[in-house]
This record gives sequence, structure tokens and C-alpha cells, in this order.
Amino acid sequence: MTITEVGSARRRKEDARLITGRTTWTENVTLPGMLHLAILRSPMAHARITSIDVSPALETKGVVAAFSGRDVADVQGALPCAWPVTADMVHPDRPPIAVDEVKFMGEAVAVVAARSRAAALDAIAAIEVDYEPLPAVLDMEAAIADGADLVHADKGTNKGYTWVFDSAEAGTGGDAAAALDGAEVVIKRRYVQQRLIPAFMEPRSVVVDPTGDAYSIWSATQIPHILRFLISVVTGTPEHKVRVIAPDVGGGFGGKLQVTPEELIAFVAAKRLGRPVKYTESRSESLVSAHHGRDVIQDLELAARRDGTVTGLRVKLLANMGAYMGLVGPGVPILGAFMYNAIYKFPAYRFECSGIFTNTTITDAYRGAGRPEATYAIERLMDELAAELGLDPMDVRRRNWIKAEEFPFTTVCGLQYDSGDYDKATDRAMELLGYDELRAEQQRRREAQDPVQLGIGISTYTEMCGLAPSRVLGSLRYGAGGWETASVRMLPTGKVEVVTGTSPHGQGHETAWSQIVADQLGVAFDDVEVLHGDTRTSYKGLDTYGSRSLAVGGIALYNACQKVLDKAKPIAAHMLECDPADLEFTGGQFRVRGNPDGGKSMADCALAVFAAHDLPDGIEPTLDADAVYDPVNFSFPHGTHLCATEVDTETGRVTIRKYVAVDDIGKVINPLIVEGQVHGGIAQGVAQALFEEAVYDADGNLMTGTLVDYTLPTAADLPSFVTDRTESPAPDHPLGTKGVGEAGTIASTPAVVNAIVDALRPMGVNDIAMPCTPERVWRAVQGGAA
Amino acid sequence: MEFLQPADWAEALAVKAAHPDALPIAGGTDVMVDLNFDRARPGALLDLTRVTDLTDWGTDGDWLRVGAGVTYRRLIDELAGRVPGLALASRTVGSPQIRNRGTVGGNLGSASPAGDAHPALLAAGALVELASVRGTRRVPVTEYFTGPKRSVRTPDELIAAFLVPARPGAEQFAKVGTRNAMVIAVCSFALSLDAATRTVGTGIGSAGPTPLRATEAEAFLAAELPWETRGAVPESVAARFGELVGSAARPIDDVRGSADYRRHALAVLARRALAWAWTDPGGAV
Repeated sequence: MTITEVGSARRRKEDARLITGRTTWTENVTLPGMLHLAILRSPMAHARITSIDVSPALETKGVVAAFSGRDVADVQGALPCAWPVTADMVHPDRPPIAVDEVKFMGEAVAVVAARSRAAALDAIAAIEVDYEPLPAVLDMEAAIADGADLVHADKGTNKGYTWVFDSAEAGTGGDAAAALDGAEVVIKRRYVQQRLIPAFMEPRSVVVDPTGDAYSIWSATQIPHILRFLISVVTGTPEHKVRVIAPDVGGGFGGKLQVTPEELIAFVAAKRLGRPVKYTESRSESLVSAHHGRDVIQDLELAARRDGTVTGLRVKLLANMGAYMGLVGPGVPILGAFMYNAIYKFPAYRFECSGIFTNTTITDAYRGAGRPEATYAIERLMDELAAELGLDPMDVRRRNWIKAEEFPFTTVCGLQYDSGDYDKATDRAMELLGYDELRAEQQRRREAQDPVQLGIGISTYTEMCGLAPSRVLGSLRYGAGGWETASVRMLPTGKVEVVTGTSPHGQGHETAWSQIVADQLGVAFDDVEVLHGDTRTSYKGLDTYGSRSLAVGGIALYNACQKVLDKAKPIAAHMLECDPADLEFTGGQFRVRGNPDGGKSMADCALAVFAAHDLPDGIEPTLDADAVYDPVNFSFPHGTHLCATEVDTETGRVTIRKYVAVDDIGKVINPLIVEGQVHGGIAQGVAQALFEEAVYDADGNLMTGTLVDYTLPTAADLPSFVTDRTESPAPDHPLGTKGVGEAGTIASTPAVVNAIVDALRPMGVNDIAMPCTPERVWRAVQGGAA
Repeated sequence: MEFLQPADWAEALAVKAAHPDALPIAGGTDVMVDLNFDRARPGALLDLTRVTDLTDWGTDGDWLRVGAGVTYRRLIDELAGRVPGLALASRTVGSPQIRNRGTVGGNLGSASPAGDAHPALLAAGALVELASVRGTRRVPVTEYFTGPKRSVRTPDELIAAFLVPARPGAEQFAKVGTRNAMVIAVCSFALSLDAATRTVGTGIGSAGPTPLRATEAEAFLAAELPWETRGAVPESVAARFGELVGSAARPIDDVRGSADYRRHALAVLARRALAWAWTDPGGAV
């Protein structure tokens, strides 16, 4: 087999249609007789609905139906949570449309179906709702204080769960409390992961078409397979009567890893009216009602010796769940639990997390999901430890991290890190940054008391990718497995159709999967078509999130290709009139070993099984094959990101002068796609450090409900990134890939904040709350602390 | 909603007289935002994009007269040397797409305290030309703004043009935003130093109910600048000028920034703008 495609920077075959919009986005789906839905949303964070009258909407031109939560209370079901992290987790039923009480601003309270979107939008303004305000619970610490107002009065508490991991109890390490008690140095900090909004490019959209007793559902979702299963469970519709199609989907970042009220509302409306319906949210609706991310308070205690050796870590989190438990929301901090020890050999560790209800939009998975929070915390702490001890922050890290020769390494959390070389990636990053020169410039600026100071930020990260070994998920009480599936279908003309259970929404699976198949089967890149997202063609799969698609789905595809080769071999041998054992597959041909001439290609074999005129006895006339791969372990990409920032101490403005990312993601299928993931990931992580924050006022109104106030970064806010890679192949599977979808986001946030704090440390600054806006940086300079 | 689309200026004025509630729209970069968010439901829209007179510019005696429909993009491309401060401000407006559509006339029409063009117009001592079927008047921009999103323009009037001195002084513009583009400024500042008349012009944006001048700062600086020698501006003068600019602002606390920070940042911006304008009297870029 000759590798030619894997590793080449193919331009993405799906981009022409995605970029020009000449494709099927859910919003483009138009069906005969289709009605358009508009949703009236709560203007209040917490209130009792004392009366609601939809009848004025019915008198509006073009309106076919209008209903409130009360009208559908018995049939609308409740939104699912797939990750009850503890046996006693509080999981209040979440109705798609609020019935008696609204619990966050933006919650659906009534729905109108009309002949046009404009008519539906006009009609919702006519609906009359009376609210009796209830106290809004917003602050997590106040929410768990005695006598606190309650989000869910019937539950008697705002605490949804408390989940603990302790290395002493688990037998994977020592006792963190003991380590802290006897420590030479303790670094104690509180960091706040502000609330973020995934802000995918394509707003959510759903179309439901009822035909007979079956339903076709188009949705801008990351999870068509999980959605099909859960729609069936929640609505009581037999699974084989539900077809879900995620056509081309414009981004997700975890924000479309959800079963949404809007999907259930559209389902209920279509069922009730017997007609196809469509709902597409506006950007403002998206910002207020699609799930948010992060929003965690981290209390951290790091124990160390004076030489910089870390002896223990204790982490206590309050994680804001919002008003309800999202699909995997309770588990998001748990995904981070195993990552606070990061790349280091900490001997003792304790993690405790409580999920708290507040009268806000739910939080759930957002790019990195738990791991950015963990990485931020530990990488900030390592800098603080170095500062406390007067040591170089990189030296402190080196002293503690796992050495290349120590892999596979079992961590204090019990995870087995597969491979890596932290020294190599770091050395390369320091060289690319010009670390020593910048340190010298920093010193000059300090001595000159330059109003613009220079800071260097370090982030040496790892993450767990390739979600996930099903047994591990089971042990964490997650509701599903972590396998993935692929099918390879050989067409008679030698073209190939691949069906994948992954569900790309911008990642470029069609390109990368084609490259893998092209190499494995010796067919042309352009001769491979990748099908996904429609449960009628791809009936099985676990979709796309958690940097899993290539690291799990790619292996399923590789294995399916091997099965196709295994099936083709006896057929080729029959045509070549030789023993299969004498054949090898090279250059896209089965050839008799040692004879470079007269081989048979996959196309020859495909045509032979199509005709089936002359096959060996007992051979089934097909080359098609399916494979399901359940990973044996997570994969652990790592890398070193370095950021140099200029900080204007007079205005507080931060400018990223240089950003270097050296990532080790194992083997690379397509370097161009990797580069795109790294760039976008860094941008998103920088955004948390400098720009983005979802802000609620004291009454629970979202103050950042537009993209003018919720400041996503633009190209003008970011430097050109310097990127490079080292390569420690994943040892557990033949492709050697690890996953790259979240790396940039995980690594970059602490790199930027460390750089800002580093610039200002001589002024007494040791922290700045994110996002580090000019005003906050200026205040830190004024006050010496944030 | 009625959509009115006059073919020329005379018709535009007649339509406006007949429909004083009609909301004029040119680039639509403000108007469409309000419509999208349902903050405005005007009875009629008055589309000015067919009125070609509005897209001309030329000299008028000692003044440069720029039609209200000239886009930010054209200000940057065609007029950077003649309206240097405004061109600098124009570069910070929105995104390339918004600069291709947005107009100074629209900015004046919205009369937002955060309008990016306003500080530069204030600093330059611009006039706003208002027209109606009753006639035409030219109002100093310093008298144009009367409150948040309010101006002296009467319901039957349209903005025809703005005028600035044909020979500009040394002009600078600076702003603080929460990001570099597509953002409403936290605060902004424009400065014009006219060596010929030894006068100073200032404009403050996003830090008061209207765009503001810092008149005390202007008078102080005009008196203190070493116009004769062109020597360095004493540190104490620059600092005092900054303070006076900061204290002229009337900012509020909001989600974009606190009043304290706005005053402080204006002082820094003013000090820096002064240094740039004084050392590079060309001002133009």
C-alpha cells in the first residue's frame, strides 16, 4: 500500500458548496404546505405565568395556530439529560414550552404557526401574558446559602449534585489534604471561568415533516443519531418512525450538542397540525436561548516544595447549570476533573464539583468542555507558583511534567496517557517565539518604565480526546457509549461511498475520510463520496463532539477498509489465478508478490462482484463492509503555546504581539485542516481571555444579547499565528491520530492571561478577571490586583 | 410600511415634506439594526440611494462640501488628505462591508453619542447642511446635537451635506473599544490643531448624552501651545489638556465601560492625540 493522500494538504472538497451556500442548510428546506413557527419568549428571569391568552394571535393575518405551554402540557414531554452524574442528581423536568413558571429569560412561553415567517413573528406580539415576578437566583454562592430563593421550589435546593474524585479514595494517588497540610508552599487562588456563548455561525433551525405515522426531522444539529433516539424516547414515537437529517450544518462548538426545546416544539406543532413546520431562530434568540458554556468558579489549592515540585492539588468547583440540566451539562465539569493534573506528575489530588441551578440559560458543552477550565486553572497556578518561589515558570513546569521516556504514564486520576514529548514541543515553541530575546526586551521595557509593557505567557497543555471508551463512559454514568461506525460501499464502477456515523458541521470529514479511503483502497481522492447526517443512510453513529471523529470514527473507517480489502483479496486471486496468500496490495493493485505487472485494482474487483459471473465458490458477491470501533483508551494530544502580549498600562489595552503554537496531535491526515482547527481554536480561546462574556444584570436580563455587546473577536483582533507540530503517534490504533478540534481553545486562554499577568507582575498584579478588557487591565494596574 | 424612493433631490424634499414621519435610509447600517431589533417601526422608509446629488463632493469657497451620501469607504479613498481626522475615524467604522455602505449623513441622522464620525466633525468645526422645501440652512455641528439621538433637524428636513474648512489643520482620532472592529466605542476622541488660526478643536464620542467638545481644554491648549517655536509640548501642558478633556466628558456606567474609566481613557487619548498631531502636523495618512 502506498501512502499518498494521508498527510497531504488537500483543500476541502466540501468547501465550494459550503462557502457559496449552494447546499442544503436546514433553513433552505422548503416543503409543500409548510408552516413557519415563531416563539414568544420570556422577558423575565423568574416569574409565574398567571395568565396567557394566545387567541389575539389567531386573529392575525396568516396565522394557522397558536398554543401555549398549557395547551400542550400533556403531550410536549420533557427535555432529556443523558448524564446524571450522581445517583441522586436533582433533575427537574424541563418542559419545551414553559407551563406555569418561566425560569430564565428567553424561555419559550408560546408558539405561533403561520403561513409566513413574517406573519408568525407579527402574531407573537399579539399574545397576552401576565407574569408575577419571582425572585431571580443568579449568584451561585448566594444560591447555596441558607434560606436562598429557589429556582425550583419543589426541589428544596439549588444544588443539583456534588461529584467528588479523590486520588486517595480511588487508590490512584495520595491524600491531597495531607499534602496541603504539610506543604512548604501553598498557592491558593480563586479563578472564574466567565459565562460564554458558543455563537456558531448558522443559527439553529429545524424542519419537521409528518407523513403518515412517521416524522422526518431536519435539524442544524451536531447529533442526528442521538437526537433520533431521544426524540423517540421523549415523545413516545417508535424509533423506526423517526428519521433525522442533519444536512450541512454551519458550526456548533458544542452549542449544537443538545436536544433543544425548539426541536421538540417543532415536533409537537407538526404532529398537532399534521403539516410540515419550520423554525429558524434569529441571532438574538440564539444568544439568549441556545445553551451557554463555562460559568464556573474554581477554588484551587496547590501544594509544593520550595524547589517547585508540586506535591498535591485540591480543586473545588461551583458550576452554573443554568435553570435546568442540559443534555450533557452536568458532566461537563466532570470531563475536566481528570485534567487538572494536566501534564504533571502530581502525587495527590482531590476534585469536588457542585452543579448549581440559577435563573439563567442552561450551560452545556462548549469547545473543550471542562478541559479548558482545568487547563486554565493549572497553567495559571504554575505561573503563580513560579512567581511565589522566584523561579522561571518554564523551569517549574519542566520539573513537574512527565518525561518522554515515562510514557505510557498512569496519572493521579488513573488515566493512562498514551504518548508525548513535552520537552520537544516546548523547546520548539521557545525557539519559534524567540523566548530569550523577548525576555531581554521585557527587562528593557521594565527598566525604562515604558508605558507599554511586555509579557510572555506559557501554556503547556494536554487534553483527553477521542471520546470515548464505552466502559469508561458507563463508569461515569453517561447514558450512551463512545464507539463509532463506518461503512464502505464499493460501487460497480470502482467509485466508493462511505457512510460515517460522525456528523461534521464544518470539520472537513468528507475530505479527510476520502484521503484515508484513497490510501487504503488505492482509489482516487475524488472517487470517494462521504455520506453522513441522515439516519436513513447512516442509521447508526454517535456523532461529532469532543475531538472524537477522526480518533474514533476514523479508525472505524480504517477498519472497514481492511474488511473490504480482505473481501477483495480472494476475488483478485481468483482473477489472477493465484493463491490469495501470494498477493500483496500495493499502489492500488493486488499483485503477486515479487511481480510488479498485471495486478487487479479495487475497481476490477468491484466490477467482478457486480457481475458475479465468475467468483470463487462460496464467496458472497459484495465488497461492502461495516466496522464499529470502540476505543480502548482516550488519546492525549499535547502541546506548548506561547504568547507575547504588549500591555498598555495607561489605557489597559492588550495587543498580542506574537503567538506560537506547537501542537502534538499524533499523526496528521490533512495538515491544512489541522491548521484551520488550530487557528480557529486559538481565536476562540483568545476570545475568552480578552473579549467574550455573557453578562446578566441584577434582574437576570441578558445584557449581551447581540453580537455588538457579546464581542466575538474579528480577524482584526488577532495576530498571525506561528504554528508547528511535533508528532507522537497514538499507539492504540493504526492511524496514530489523536484529535485536534479543541486543542487551540484549551491551550490559548491561559497563555494569553499568563502573558498579561507576566507583563504587569512588577506592578503587583497577580490576576485579572476574564475577559481582560482594557478597563479591567487598567483597574488591575491601578489597584495592583483585580 | 410605505417605501418611498424619490429619484432626485427635489423630489426627496417634497416627499419628506409630505411624509415628515418617513425615516430616511441611505446605507442602512443604523436604520436596519433598529428595524431588525424591532426598536423602530416607522410608517415609511425614505430611500435616498437614488439621489445622486448626495454622493458628490467639492469645494464651496473656503469650505469642502461633502454630500450626505458619500460612504466611509469613499472618504478614506478620495478624501483622506482633505478630511484627515474624519478619514482616520472612518477606518474604525464597522467592517469593510459597513464602510462600503455607511455614510456620514446617516451617522448625523442617527445622532448617536457613539457615532464614529461626530468627534472628528466637532474637532474640525464642521457645518451640517439641512434642507427642506422651505429652504436650506447650515448649522454648526457644535449646535446640531441636542440630546441622545436628537438633533436640531426638523421633521421635514433632510441632511444634504456636511462642510469642513477646505484647508484642514493637523487632525488626529483615537478610540478605545472592546475589540478592533464592529464595536461601539467605549470612548473616542478627535483633535484638530490649526496653526494658521492658532486654534484647537476637540470632539468626544461615547462619553456623554451627545458628542461633546471640550471647550475649556481647547482654550487652554490654544493658549499654551508653543505655536511660534513649534517646540515640544511641555509634559505638564499635555497632562493638563488630557485632564480637561476627561473632565469635559459626561459619561455613564454601562456594559461597555464605567464612567471613571471613560474619563481616564479620554485623558490618555487626548494626550496621545496631541503628541501625534503636534509632531506630525500633516495629520493626513
